[in-house]
Amino acid sequence: MNVQSTANKAFSRRGFLGLTAAAASVPLLAACGGGSASQGGGGGGAGGTIKFWDMPWATPAYNDSAKKIAEGFSGANSAKANYQIIQWNNFYQTFSSAIASKTGPAVSTGGGFQAFQFDQQGQIAYADKVIEKMKANGQFDDFLPGVLDPFKSDKGYVAVPWQLDMRVFWYRKSLFEKAGVSLPTDWPSLLEAGKALKKVGAFGFATGAGSGNNYGNHSMIMMMVNNGGGVWNKNGELDLLNDRNVEAMEFVLELVSNGIIDPAAVSYTTDNMSAQWKDGKAGFGLFQVNVPQRVGDTSGDLLVADPITGPHGDKATIVFPNNIMMYKNTPSQEASEEFLVYYMGQLKELWKQKLMSALPVFKSITETPEFANDPNNVKIVKDWQPIAKTFASQGSTLNANLAALDGGQALNQFSQSILTGQAKDAKSALQTFQSGLESVLKK
Amino acid sequence: MTSTTAPSGLSRARRGLAPGGPGASPGKRKSKLSAQTTKTFFWLLLPSVVLLVLIHGYPLIHAAVQATHDGDLLQTGNFVGGENFANVLSSPAFWKAAQFTLWFTIVGVFGSWLVGLGLALLLRTKIPAGNTFKVLLLLPWVVPIVVSSTAWNWLVATPDSLIPSIFRGLGLGTPLFLADPTLASITVMVFKVWVSFPFMMMMISAALASVDTTVYEAASMDGASRWQQFTQITLPLIARSTYISWILMTIFCVNDFPTIYLLTGGGPVSATTSLVVLAYRTVFQDFATGPGVAIAFLMTMTLVVISVILYRQIRKSSVE
Repeated sequence: MNVQSTANKAFSRRGFLGLTAAAASVPLLAACGGGSASQGGGGGGAGGTIKFWDMPWATPAYNDSAKKIAEGFSGANSAKANYQIIQWNNFYQTFSSAIASKTGPAVSTGGGFQAFQFDQQGQIAYADKVIEKMKANGQFDDFLPGVLDPFKSDKGYVAVPWQLDMRVFWYRKSLFEKAGVSLPTDWPSLLEAGKALKKVGAFGFATGAGSGNNYGNHSMIMMMVNNGGGVWNKNGELDLLNDRNVEAMEFVLELVSNGIIDPAAVSYTTDNMSAQWKDGKAGFGLFQVNVPQRVGDTSGDLLVADPITGPHGDKATIVFPNNIMMYKNTPSQEASEEFLVYYMGQLKELWKQKLMSALPVFKSITETPEFANDPNNVKIVKDWQPIAKTFASQGSTLNANLAALDGGQALNQFSQSILTGQAKDAKSALQTFQSGLESVLKK
Repeated sequence: MTSTTAPSGLSRARRGLAPGGPGASPGKRKSKLSAQTTKTFFWLLLPSVVLLVLIHGYPLIHAAVQATHDGDLLQTGNFVGGENFANVLSSPAFWKAAQFTLWFTIVGVFGSWLVGLGLALLLRTKIPAGNTFKVLLLLPWVVPIVVSSTAWNWLVATPDSLIPSIFRGLGLGTPLFLADPTLASITVMVFKVWVSFPFMMMMISAALASVDTTVYEAASMDGASRWQQFTQITLPLIARSTYISWILMTIFCVNDFPTIYLLTGGGPVSATTSLVVLAYRTVFQDFATGPGVAIAFLMTMTLVVISVILYRQIRKSSVE
C-alpha cells in the first residue's frame, strides 16, 4: 500500500501556494496592520465625552489613580472624560491608525516627541488657550524654570509638559567607601573613580543598550551635552561632528578600554541594569529618578551624585519632558482644554501617592512632604533640574525629528559601537551616526 | 513467492510497498469532476476566498502603496516609484540583515530538523516514560516566546549568569553571549533551534508513525543495514513531511521577530538584525514607512520563490 496516497490527494498545488502566500504575507501585515486599540468610536465619542489616552508610566496603581482623576472631570455642558491605557508596544502605530480612522483620543499622553510628529501631520490642537487659563489660575507661575519653553513653536504650544524624565548620576555609597575613592566631580576624577571601583569588582559607569533599553543612548548624548556639545547646534541643524562631541566620545571610549564600562553592557536590558545596581555591581552611572524604589534597595546606600563638570567647565544633563497633547479630532475643543487644565491641576495627587518615577513640573509638588522627604528627590530638583537640557541640545525647541533620534537605529548603532569598543575612533563613529541620522530625518 | 534483491527491495520499500505486493506504479489517474461538483466546490470555496482577499488583499495593496510613496503611517506622501526599493537594495544594512537572515534560517531549519529527527527516532523506540518525554520536549514550542526569551536572558546575559559562570568554572573564560557580535548571532540561532525542534519532532513523528513497519522487516530480510534502512527507507518515506516542515520552518524563521527582538533587539551593532527586525525598526523607530515596507515586500517575494522551489521538491518526491 502507498502510505502517502491520502496525503497526496489532499495537497493541491493551488492550496499550497495559497497557504504559502498567506504565510509569507505576514511581514507585510506586521508592517502595515492597524493597531488594535483603535476601537471605540471616533472623535472622542458623542455627548462631550473627552477620550483621554494614557500610557503605563509606572505601576498599575498609577493608571488606576490617573483613571480616577480623569473620570472625575465634570466640565461645562456636562462634558465628561473617559480613560484608556495604551501599551508602549507599537504605541505610535496605535495612535497613528486610530487618528487616521478618526477613532483616536481627544487628549493624550504619549511618546516624548509624539506631539511634534502629529503636529507635523496637522493633527494637533495648540494649547495656547490652556496656557492662558493656567496663567489665570496661577498654575503657569508654578512651572519649574524652563520646562514649558521647548513646547512653544511658531504656531503655538504643541503640548503641555506634565512630568520630567530626568537622567542623573547615581552612586552606591558603600562601594565608594570600599574602594576608598571620592565621588567624581569632573571627567578625570570619574576616570579615577572608575579605576578604583573596578578593583572592588564594580563598574564606574553603569549603563545598558540591550533590547528596549535606551539608557546607553542617553548616556552618550548626556556626555556630549555635558561637554557643551549635542546633536544639534543652536540653529537646530545637525551638528554631530563638533569638537566637543568628539572629545566626549573619546572619553567614553577611554572608559570602555579601561573596563570602567561593563563589556556586557551593550546587551543589558533595563532589568539587567536594575539587577546590576541591586547586586552592588554598579558603583556609579546614569539612571532615572527613584532608582532605589525601582531596583528594590531603599537602604539608603543608593544616592544621587553631584553633576560632574566637563573639561571646558560645562555642566549639563538631559531631560525628557513628557507632555499631554490635544488633538483636533475632539467633540469639543473647549472641553478638551477644560479637561487638560483640570488634569494638570490634579497632578499633585499622583506624586502625593508616590506613584511617579519622574519629576513633577510644578514647584508646588516638589514642596509637598511626600516628595520633599526624599533627599534624592530634593537633590535632583536643586542640582540637576536647572542644568537639564532636552534632546534638542544645543537647539532650544523640540521637534518631530527627535523621535527618529530617540530610539532610532542610527543612535542605537552608534551607542552600541562605542560600548563594544568596535568604533574605530570617536570621529568615524560620529560620522556614521550623522550619516545614518541624515538618511531618516525629514527635510 | 517473489524473490527480490536488496536494491530492488529497497526501491520498492521507498515507495512504501511490501515485498510480493502488487507493485503497481502510482497511477496518474485524473478524476474528472462533474460540472455540478465543480459548482459546489466553487460556492463552498467562495467565502474563504473573499475572506482571504479581504484579510490579505487590502493590506497587500495598502503596503504596495506605502512602499512606493515617501509618507508615514498617517499620510501617504508623494509617489516615488521604485526609489524606496532602490535605496533599500543599495543599503549595506539591508544586505547585512539579509545575510544574517540567511544564516538564521539555514541554522533554524536544519538545526531544528536534525534535533527533531533525532528525538523522533529516539522516541519511536521503546524507552521508559516515552510519553512523558514527548510532553516535556514540546515545552520549548508551547511556552510563550516572551517567557523563554526572558529565561534565556537570565541564563546568558551577564557575566554572572548561569552559563557564563559554568564556562568560567571550567576555566573557559567568561563568554559574553549577547554582547559579542559573533556569540550573539550563535546564541540567537541556538535559541531558535531550541524553540523550534519540537515542531519538527512532531512533524517527523507523525510521518514516521504512518510508515508501515513491515517495510523495515522486508528490508532487513533483504540484508539492508540499519544505516541503509535509515537513508534508503526512512528518509525517503518522510521526505514529503520533511519538505513541508522545511517550507514552514523557512517561513517561520524568515518572519521571526520576537525570538530575535526579545533576546538581543537586533544587536549588538546590528549583528542579529534580521530583515523582519530591520523592517520593524525602519518603520517604527526611524519612522521611514516606505523603505520599511519595501523590505517587507522583498522578504515576501523571496519567501514565495523559496516556497515554490521547495514545493516542486515535494512534487518530485511524491512522483518518485
